[in-house]
Amino acid sequence: MLNLDIEHRLGGFRLKTAFASAGGVTVLFGRSGSGKTSIVNAIAGLLRPDLGRIAIGGEVVFDSARAIDVPTPRRRVGYVFQEGRLFPHLDVRQNLRYARLFLPAGSDDRFDHIVELLGLRDLLRRRPGNLSGGEKQRVAIGRALLSNPRILLLDEPLASLDAHRRAEVLRYLELLRDELRIPIVYVSHAVEEVVRLADTVVLMAAGAALAVGSVEQVMGRPDLRAAAGTFEGGAVIEARVAAQDMEYDLATVTFAGGTLTVTDLDALVGEPVRVRIRARDVSVALTRPDRISVQNVLPATITQIGAPRGGVIDVTLDVGGATLLRARITRRAAEQLRLAPGLAVFALIKAVSLDRHGAAS
Amino acid sequence: MALTAEDWEILLLSLKVAAWSVVLSLPFAVAVAYLLARRDFPGKTLFDAVVHLPLVLPPVVVGFFLLLALGRNGPVGSLLHDWFGVVIAFRWTGAALAAGIMGFPLMVRAIRLSFESVDRKLEAAASTLGAGRLAVFATITLPLALPGVITGALLSFARGLGEFGATITFVSNIPGETRTLPLAIYTYTQTPAGDAAAIRLSLIAVLLSLAALFVSEWLVRRATRRMLGQDAESRH
Amino acid sequence: MIKLLRLTLVFAALLTPLLAPSSCKAANTLVFAAASLQDALDAQIRLFRSAAGHKVVVSYAATPALARQLDNGAPADVFISADSDWMDYVAARRLIVAGSRINLLSNSLVLVAPRSGVASTRIAPGFPLANLLGEGRLAMADTDSVPAGKYAKAALQSLGVWPSVAGRLARTENVRVALALVARGEAPLGIVYRSDAVAEPRVRVAGEFPATSHPRIVYPAALCAASRSPAAPALLAYLKSPAARAVWERHGFSAAD
Repeated sequence: MLNLDIEHRLGGFRLKTAFASAGGVTVLFGRSGSGKTSIVNAIAGLLRPDLGRIAIGGEVVFDSARAIDVPTPRRRVGYVFQEGRLFPHLDVRQNLRYARLFLPAGSDDRFDHIVELLGLRDLLRRRPGNLSGGEKQRVAIGRALLSNPRILLLDEPLASLDAHRRAEVLRYLELLRDELRIPIVYVSHAVEEVVRLADTVVLMAAGAALAVGSVEQVMGRPDLRAAAGTFEGGAVIEARVAAQDMEYDLATVTFAGGTLTVTDLDALVGEPVRVRIRARDVSVALTRPDRISVQNVLPATITQIGAPRGGVIDVTLDVGGATLLRARITRRAAEQLRLAPGLAVFALIKAVSLDRHGAAS
Repeated sequence: MALTAEDWEILLLSLKVAAWSVVLSLPFAVAVAYLLARRDFPGKTLFDAVVHLPLVLPPVVVGFFLLLALGRNGPVGSLLHDWFGVVIAFRWTGAALAAGIMGFPLMVRAIRLSFESVDRKLEAAASTLGAGRLAVFATITLPLALPGVITGALLSFARGLGEFGATITFVSNIPGETRTLPLAIYTYTQTPAGDAAAIRLSLIAVLLSLAALFVSEWLVRRATRRMLGQDAESRH
Repeated sequence: MIKLLRLTLVFAALLTPLLAPSSCKAANTLVFAAASLQDALDAQIRLFRSAAGHKVVVSYAATPALARQLDNGAPADVFISADSDWMDYVAARRLIVAGSRINLLSNSLVLVAPRSGVASTRIAPGFPLANLLGEGRLAMADTDSVPAGKYAKAALQSLGVWPSVAGRLARTENVRVALALVARGEAPLGIVYRSDAVAEPRVRVAGEFPATSHPRIVYPAALCAASRSPAAPALLAYLKSPAARAVWERHGFSAAD
């Protein structure tokens, strides 16, 4: 669906990236300055790489060797910018309909559909100057979608929003991902967004793609922790909701390695969800603890003891023979308990960081 | 203060000359302002300086150059005359040309500033939505630069109303044809017992200029307010 | 934004009447006349118009300015110059109809002062002009090109007082501006035509220059070569006619011979 291999020099910064994506949501993840936005700009045609080749949906839009450079207006990319970039002199409706000026007559008019999908009906007569951050972003998304793009690009669309708005728009993005059949390229430096949205993750650092793969594959790798920046080591597990306890607001989810109890999970029974377990939230016990508040006690086997860093050490645990978890504990505890690979222990998980995951990709 | 028939003729001529001068020079000013705001090219500084010449040159000099070039014996003037039988020297069209040239730098400055303040990112966004360069200019850049265009046009209009040196040198002082307000006032100052008329016309000139400036201010404020969405609905 | 566009269109609509090209002025007769003719010629034209029903428009300026404008293609129908030199100038450039040139008027040169200014003085060789000026300047038209100035300088030279005042002049663009300076009290004395003094109630004649002190003042008039006005010859004829003479004389001009 998207094939990219480019090189570019921008001041002192050198970008050299290659990756391919077969569809779904591809998240470009990495610290600020790692070149993510430049890549998206190159896909859109707003940046002209020094060298390389970009193909969208089979069409080559850029090829330095054959002097091909399709101008931006003809690339049919929908671009949602970080700051929205709504046209201040037009109202919301006009903003949304802007692309229609340039679409061939008789193109599908999905106006009402998109307006309902993004909840924009009440905003139509307003002006961008009168919108909140979250509203602006939703309009920006709608506007990009109404240009009938064959690929949707989003550059950190949630970065300028507060937590509340971020949650609001994130929900819409998940909805979008499920509704649309077009590939999405999403730039982010926020782990939460990666976890909730990504089908493919491209980990970027210093202008290069360090790793390409699924969320679990890329985010879990300890050797990439430096590049992933603020990503806290841990695991991301696919699970399914088995039961909901209305009285205590607890949900039971099952996964390959067993079951977990989760608090305040807003999901239906049977729904697939993604569960993220931070290493620092996992404790290790040699025996099954008694009279303890922790709700999740899973039998596990130690597969690896990591290199100590200061007073801290990461222990990799195999749960139920299928899933790997990581536990971050003090070096002293590891020595006191004489932890070693192969030892049978219990993984204690108290707080569970959990995010919804929609339909299977 | 009643206006005589002659006063009206002078006033209408002045308005006509100034209005035409703006209408005809506006497209050029927009183009030049865009060029200066957005493009780099060899000789840009020189070009910019030439555009600003009428602002700093004595108006009489500008009028003189116009006469040299467009008078019947001048290179362009003789061409116009021999081929088309057209003479603009000594016609109100010449007065409009003189006013247009004198007001041109003011127009360009105001419009250029406006173009420079248009967010290029919005233009990039428009292009991702399918707008080609011309469409971006027409639907995004120009509308957003409208306050500057209005200001420039009205400034040039006011300047054109007051244009004297270039006008009298190029098209002379022909009543009904080129005797605009300033020229009429000048004539009256040389006429015995013309002081009353001179003062009357001077007051009209002041009122007209003030009106032009107020209208410009008002239009700009309106345009800016719309843009910030502070008219129609308010936030809930 | 639509509303703003609409507003702009309304404005444009309001201006449209102004944008219409001016009504064809080919029917008008345009006269280029020396500045000193202003009041007299205006009066003549009022009479001419009422008699014959034609519209005549006059552009008054210093003679040299008019001559140069003619040279540059100014669309005048009749030219009345304040001296023969400038009429020769335009004649040499074939800007006038050769056979139409006539000597229309004559004038005399006077010394004027503001009404409450210098008392009368007799103008004779060596008269104390510099003393009469006091601290002020002597107003006159530019002595290099404007006829009134050239005559004035010639007169002062022949009377032997030129060196004493040559550095105390206020040279003006045309004779009427010199008149205005004296009228407003900006200059204590000025040299203008008698016809100018007659026209301006705020000045007094303080002395008359002898006709012998300067070249004969003549106002030639002619039809312009590019003239397309059918009324122009009639106008010229009228200005020369006995019917017009009384008006000229009332304004301080005399007949040319």
